[in-house]
Amino acid sequence: MPFLPVPGHVGSDYERLRPDFRVIADPYHPDQRIMLVPPITPDVSIIHAHLADRAGTLLLEEREDDSLLAEASTIVVASAERIVSTDEIRRSPTGVTLEGIHVTSVVEVPRGAHPTAVRGVYPLDEAHLSSYMVLARQDAAFKTYLDRFVLGPASHAAYLAAVSAA
Amino acid sequence: MAVAISREVRDGETTAVGTLAPVAAAGVLAAHLSHARHGRILIFNHEDYWPFRRGSKEFYDYAQRGRFDLFFLSGGQIDQHGNLNLIAVGDHRQPTIRFPGGAGSAMLYYLPRRVIIFRTDHTPRIFVDRVDTIASPGSTPPDVVRRGGPWKAITPLCTFRFDQPARRLTVESVHPGVVADELRRRTGFPIDVDAASPITPPPTPEELALLRGPVRESLAKTYPRFAETALSP
Repeated sequence: MPFLPVPGHVGSDYERLRPDFRVIADPYHPDQRIMLVPPITPDVSIIHAHLADRAGTLLLEEREDDSLLAEASTIVVASAERIVSTDEIRRSPTGVTLEGIHVTSVVEVPRGAHPTAVRGVYPLDEAHLSSYMVLARQDAAFKTYLDRFVLGPASHAAYLAAVSAA
Repeated sequence: MAVAISREVRDGETTAVGTLAPVAAAGVLAAHLSHARHGRILIFNHEDYWPFRRGSKEFYDYAQRGRFDLFFLSGGQIDQHGNLNLIAVGDHRQPTIRFPGGAGSAMLYYLPRRVIIFRTDHTPRIFVDRVDTIASPGSTPPDVVRRGGPWKAITPLCTFRFDQPARRLTVESVHPGVVADELRRRTGFPIDVDAASPITPPPTPEELALLRGPVRESLAKTYPRFAETALSP
């Protein structure tokens, strides 16, 4: 899609702040103006799935927009709570299925959404997020967060160990 | 505030509540359990009241079909003309505060037949003369279609009505116990209010019982912390 018309935005400061958003006369109602926005085409997107199979078929959270994001991106790296058979994904009663043609690579990472949630599997880690919000206010404090949870751990298992030790 | 919101919900209509809006959700649930039983209510990520299964696209497409009669929006800054700022305070390249961004709020301001602006804190830093950046315009030039737009603004201090011809928020009623001086001091734009201004009818025992009972129980499914603290009997 070369662009998308978005109603409601004419008269906002998006006209001033985003020169790439264009305002045109609506071809179907020439007495009215409408804003157009260009597509977003990410080079890489990284998403987390409930389930995946070896061909890259994903079962995604139905309330999020991960499948749209994946379809728009050039490279899609997916992590999944579990790698399962294609059959198990097909039988799943809820969730959105994304076919492997949209996915570049897939890796099994249990608790890969931490500190956010996978609905029905584990909740938000409120304590971790609260401490992140405090530490992120200051550069020095944030560096200790990065060292401890991002740069320090050599693997996801080491990260989860650092989290439970906190 | 939840009671004032509840009274704006009409039976038979479709009323939707978006993200991060526990007070609006409480008011809409209260209406649905009392005077608006035949309406359809949609509450973001509530397991009983959020039917969308294909991400936010399905929700926005539904909104674009003009299905919403009543919706709720807020802003980091809100001005007298109903403009909402969800972008930044100060120069947007070097802002003093950066908000999360307007997302679909400009679209959702124009599609539903009525929009209620809500804010749980009422200060002159929020209710400003003119917002620094307009993410969602309160009104638009005549050559831009606008199906809906601002209808009221509800805060802990008062209810504003959006005066359509004047394109301004004007005080409709002052909540019980709020004095005119305080309201003037805490509002960053000129308002017409005095001791004779109408007072919002206080919550009835029935309305409070509803909020603290069935509404609290239902709301806990999507806002557990809020249900536990703000609606405790």
